[in-house]
Amino acid sequence: MVGYVLNRLIGMIIVMFIVATVVFVIVRVTPGDPAAVMLGPDATAADIAALREQLGLNRPMLIQYVAFLEQVARGDLGRSIFLDQTVLSALAQRAEPTFFLTVFAMLIACAIALPVGIMAAWKRGTWTDQLVTAVAMLSASIPSFWLGLLFIQFFSVRMGWFPTSGYGGPGESFAGRMQHLVLPAVTLGIISSALITRFTRTSMIEVLSSDYIRTARAKGVGHMKVLLQHALKNALIPILTVIGLTAAVLISGAVVTETVFGLPGVGNLVVSAVLRRDYPVIQGALLIVAGLYVLLNFIIDMLYLVVDPRVRF
Amino acid sequence: MKPRYHSLLAAALIALPLFSVSATAEPKRGGIINVATVGEPPTLDPMVSTADLVGIVSQHIFETLYTFGKDWAITPLLAEALPDISPDGKVYTIKLRSGIPFHDGGTMTSRDVVASLKRWTENASRGKQTATNIAAIDAVDDLTVKITLKEAYAPLLALLAFNNSAAIILEADNQAVPLAKVVGTGPYALKERKADQYIQLTRFDGYKSRAGEADFYGGARKQYLDEIRFVPVPDPNTRVEGAVAGQFAYIDSLPVESFERLKGGKSTPSVLKSFGWPVFVMNTKEGILSKLEVRQAVQAALDPNDMLLAAFGSKDFYEVDGALYPKGFIWHTEAGTKLYNQANPDKAKALLEKAGYKGEPLVILTSRQYEFHYKMAQVAKAYFEQAGFKVDMQVVDWATLTQRRADPKLWSIYITHSPFLPEPALSSYMSDASPGWWSTPAKHAAIGPFNTAVNAAERVKLFAKVQEAVYAEAPLYKVGNFNALYAQAPNLKGVEPAPWPFFWNASLD
Amino acid sequence: MTTLDTPTFAPRPSLLKRTMQRKTMVIGIAVLAVFVLAGALAPWITPFSPSRLSVANRLLAPSGVHWFGTDDFGRDVFTRVVYSARTSLFVGFAVVVFSALVGVTLGLLAGFFRRLDPPISRLLDAMMSFPDILLAISLVAALGPTLVNVIVALGIVYAPRLARIVRASTLVIRELPYVEAARAIGVSTPHIMVMHVLRNITSPILVQGTFIFASAILAEAGLSFLGVGVSPDVPTWGTMISLGRQYMDQAWWIMLFPGLAVVIAVLSLQLVGDGLRDLLDPRFSKDL
Repeated sequence: MVGYVLNRLIGMIIVMFIVATVVFVIVRVTPGDPAAVMLGPDATAADIAALREQLGLNRPMLIQYVAFLEQVARGDLGRSIFLDQTVLSALAQRAEPTFFLTVFAMLIACAIALPVGIMAAWKRGTWTDQLVTAVAMLSASIPSFWLGLLFIQFFSVRMGWFPTSGYGGPGESFAGRMQHLVLPAVTLGIISSALITRFTRTSMIEVLSSDYIRTARAKGVGHMKVLLQHALKNALIPILTVIGLTAAVLISGAVVTETVFGLPGVGNLVVSAVLRRDYPVIQGALLIVAGLYVLLNFIIDMLYLVVDPRVRF
Repeated sequence: MKPRYHSLLAAALIALPLFSVSATAEPKRGGIINVATVGEPPTLDPMVSTADLVGIVSQHIFETLYTFGKDWAITPLLAEALPDISPDGKVYTIKLRSGIPFHDGGTMTSRDVVASLKRWTENASRGKQTATNIAAIDAVDDLTVKITLKEAYAPLLALLAFNNSAAIILEADNQAVPLAKVVGTGPYALKERKADQYIQLTRFDGYKSRAGEADFYGGARKQYLDEIRFVPVPDPNTRVEGAVAGQFAYIDSLPVESFERLKGGKSTPSVLKSFGWPVFVMNTKEGILSKLEVRQAVQAALDPNDMLLAAFGSKDFYEVDGALYPKGFIWHTEAGTKLYNQANPDKAKALLEKAGYKGEPLVILTSRQYEFHYKMAQVAKAYFEQAGFKVDMQVVDWATLTQRRADPKLWSIYITHSPFLPEPALSSYMSDASPGWWSTPAKHAAIGPFNTAVNAAERVKLFAKVQEAVYAEAPLYKVGNFNALYAQAPNLKGVEPAPWPFFWNASLD
Repeated sequence: MTTLDTPTFAPRPSLLKRTMQRKTMVIGIAVLAVFVLAGALAPWITPFSPSRLSVANRLLAPSGVHWFGTDDFGRDVFTRVVYSARTSLFVGFAVVVFSALVGVTLGLLAGFFRRLDPPISRLLDAMMSFPDILLAISLVAALGPTLVNVIVALGIVYAPRLARIVRASTLVIRELPYVEAARAIGVSTPHIMVMHVLRNITSPILVQGTFIFASAILAEAGLSFLGVGVSPDVPTWGTMISLGRQYMDQAWWIMLFPGLAVVIAVLSLQLVGDGLRDLLDPRFSKDL
């Protein structure tokens, strides 16, 4: 048991090392030059070369790589080339909108998916089931930015109910900031509800067709009671797992959504960092996001270990 | 030398009554405005960057010795008056205004100015180009600075007045690169910068405005607004939506085709006539376009009408004009422009044949940073193919473009645009080192006298020779003139239409 | 994190019949067939060229001549949607093929050779820990925005999913009596792989491949929207939407029709994938 945990920990460190290497390589083979972006259209080649030197971009790759790993090992992600702050503080600044966007989208997704998924499982094979499954699939087929644009067009521009973009100015109240998140969260929630709906349906069907449920039903336990008390309880663990994993996937969905709605979140930060070649920010953000995912997986595995003694190791 | 500036100043003064007519009552003091800009400025130091966006934001914080008044006449800002220039055009004696406070409490003296000008000659792209011609920058006394040139250089004052790669005045002990403290003498001071969210500027209470009336960028600078916030909104469509929904006081750089849509919205759209010119820069150094005939084939093949229509949608937003400066600028001339607007693929074909063109790819480098660049490239491609060119169009992002264009092996044409700059010498084709690398005896024969001439009227005449050389040697293809579109809230008053909008003198009703 | 209890071997009779019983799947297949045919026969379906500019005819509303209207260059939107079916479906399909090649190879190697398992598995873990779209954005930025590079980037993004499934299946199948028996009588390892394992993991790969196909079409559109995808002069549904965004208000048709094409194509693929999953192996329905 301890050996297993230790093994997983070492595995995690190796994975993070690979992640760091992959990130570094991707970033360095990318054409484009932060120095040229910073100095503007009329800068001369000599100026750009000088700034590259100053930013340490002219050192040999291997030296940059070792320096980068060393830095990461110390928990230092470096300074942004453009933002006049450290990568960590830039990320911390962007965490709020991304965090709440993810949480709200998750809540909306669950609010849609759980009842609908349970209903589909209960009415398995009927037209209700088919309709639910089809609608869930339809929502997973819509490009998120497309849905977001339609929402902006209708709810913000036509109806004027929500701001079109951004996250409020200086001193914006918490409620005001959250208002900026309504449309993006609904967009993202609708799209990610599909996965949870389908998973809920499948797990519920599995549980419902198990022997003890059949026994309970044979004994004459009421429908609702079987459904909610017996079945849902047992289906909950796998459903929670998928919800947890969806949260990780949501970060991916949030990238596009944040861009559409101009939210200053982590995803938006990475996209703009890629466009202006802010190397430290790309590296740092990818590392942190990937690290969170690895950590999340580790925690889920550990939870399984606690919950389910059958897990092999 | 002197008379020129006096006459321009006089012209500016004549224009003044026009301003006071519109200003019936003293505008209200107070209020906060949100200004939607095209993105997050890569830095707040306008000395090191030539990006327009940096200039727009930072001109509220930092000031230069000179600036531009009505009709782009050079007018003093931190300097007391226009400089005394020696008859040979080599020595500029600049008197400074006294008691000008910095945001953090210091007072400007010649020590700050000399240090800042040195920083400019060492770190600013335009400053470095000038540096080779500068013999010395000295403080004469606490409030007088002297610049000595090796030979007369007429564009100097325009360079000192310009707001990108700008010769801003910083405190003598704040000269580090990158800039350590964002502290200037401007009417607004930086309060908070939250990258990709906003840049918050607040009124600088110690600001010492020039007396008199406002004169475009020059003259008095009134601080009616309490606060100006620049909000980056990189996506043009999101800016349009924000304008329609009335989310901002001022929205910069809107796609002109959204004009109709904006008219139905909560912001008032306005057109800034003859804002700038899209340009195809040709690589004269390497590859197929190093041959003059092939460049002339490019010149002959293209139809600017179609390119401009595809790019800007309606004649209301562009002008088919080959002159490097449109009517209204003193620099306007038609010299050489008969080579513009040929749309003659047969001639192009013949030229290509004469040049011995064998289907080597014409690499067009463009980006979608500005949608109209891409659209013009798309149309140009069709015309080039008609003329017999083999076209390799590379649509990359802006960061890649700025890097690739520095390498003469990678491209034949890259697409960009520029606002009409107050002084031709500021344009990048004037420099031999800028990508395109136009550097021929004919060019130098035209530009040399233009740069050293001291008489204003003579310089205007000499610019016609420069334009003629541009058409004869085709280092670039000017597509036309285009208008800029911006929008503002109905209650925002006093914003002058300007290529780099500024918000001192603006107020809320 | 799926482990397989037992694989399926028994060939099921009357596959076609059971397929026909699943109406949604049939609809999905039919719609996809229409898309493929339309793409293949594009020059015969529409009299217009997808790339010829006709600036005078820009932004025309849908009419009898231009069913889906024209775009800002005066090109027929219907024609472009049809031609884009070629590229968009090709991108999706090529991503599946590429990720299958990479994924199956890695999965087989990891599943069969104990020594290779830890490094490959760690690599897969690392690749899967990146959010899809962020990895795709970075890869396309690194490789350059061409059609091939978008395919390669998305292929790399999706390959680990397949590799995991293949590895898990291989680990189970490797221990099965008849595979061990084959090894015992001296059948070479590559042979075992190809003959037994590969044949038995076709179904899960097929199912997963269909979903990857759908994801790839969505991802391509997303990349184009963010401006880091295929060069905009290549017609794909993604580039069409992205170029049409500017005209959402005055010429909604430029963006609407390619968007609908994406929704319909992705939906059909999902219907097919779902059907395949139930049809080929109900056990895999857990694997989303």
